Amino acid sequence: MSLSPAALAARRVFAAASHSHQEGGARTWKILSFVLAIPGVAVCMANAYMKMQAHSHEPPEFVAYPHLRIRTKRFPWGDGNHSLFHNAHTNPLPGGYEDSHH
Amino acid sequence: MAHQAHAYHMVDPSPWPLTGAVAALLMTSGLAVWMHFHSTILMTLGLALLLLTMIQWWRDIIREGTFQGHHTPPVQKGLRFGMVLFITSEVFFFLGFFWAFYHASLAPTPELGGCWPPTGIFALDPFEVPLLNTAVLLASGVTVTWAHHSIMEGERKQAIQSLTLTILLGFYFTFLQAMEYYEAPFTIADGVYGATFFVATGFHGLHVIIGSSFLAICLLRQAQHHFTSEHHFGFEAAAWYWHFVDVVWLFLYVSIYWWGS
Repeated sequence: MSLSPAALAARRVFAAASHSHQEGGARTWKILSFVLAIPGVAVCMANAYMKMQAHSHEPPEFVAYPHLRIRTKRFPWGDGNHSLFHNAHTNPLPGGYEDSHH
Repeated sequence: MAHQAHAYHMVDPSPWPLTGAVAALLMTSGLAVWMHFHSTILMTLGLALLLLTMIQWWRDIIREGTFQGHHTPPVQKGLRFGMVLFITSEVFFFLGFFWAFYHASLAPTPELGGCWPPTGIFALDPFEVPLLNTAVLLASGVTVTWAHHSIMEGERKQAIQSLTLTILLGFYFTFLQAMEYYEAPFTIADGVYGATFFVATGFHGLHVIIGSSFLAICLLRQAQHHFTSEHHFGFEAAAWYWHFVDVVWLFLYVSIYWWGS
């Protein structure tokens, strides 16, 4: 039984995948995890935090654009007018913000 | 008493494919019923049946492979092919949503203001939380590779540590995305921008949750000595799936968060 070149190549890849065995490979990836990966996350955490502090907390002015806040079909929950992750402070309804201070 | 004269696995009759199919029917029709008749009973029943099917089907596979020795090298090869084909189908699934995004964003219609992001949409800053999310998933790719090598080298404690770290990073990503979803100034109902954004990132988030769950099962199995240094395909499948989830995020990040902002 002769296999096509593609099948032969696939067999080699799968054989390699099930028998890969490098000495010290775990140690390398452990070092990469604690020296590169985790510090990278920490740096991005700090960056995101500082950037968030820097900008204003006021949501933008409401303009009743017809291409936004579509309500062709009601949401199947609540009063049908609020999205699943609705945030009264940042998400205006079709008629405007719900908060009193807008 | 007859013994099989081949290395393949002739699976015993099982009810789980049928219960899975029934669950799929109940969930899909249940979703339609919810949308039109405001009743969640059918969909909930479908979800419950799906959960029971998954638990019992995969429990049976673990029994057959880990405890009964049915997963010989040829059988494992078939399982590998299966996982590759499944992930490939998922790639095509996401391809559709990327198509929708690029269709809408490369030639924005006059109704949107002829621009992208559309008029009135304030896109999230790609260099705040989205960048952090990218770092989190990339880091989890490193830690899951550490886990794989640990398993291959029989380093039990390290395998448990690295797998746990991977899962924690996955949870952290989900937490950050949930926060972003709540704080976003736009919703799914904000035209094609909102639709493409939340459907694409939403399905991705679901896959992160699925991948984290798969890895969590692997952690439990590793703790119970299911994996050997030579045979741990369940873990490899979970790791492949996790890398796939990471790659989808990278495409989402570059396309929707960065280019689309």
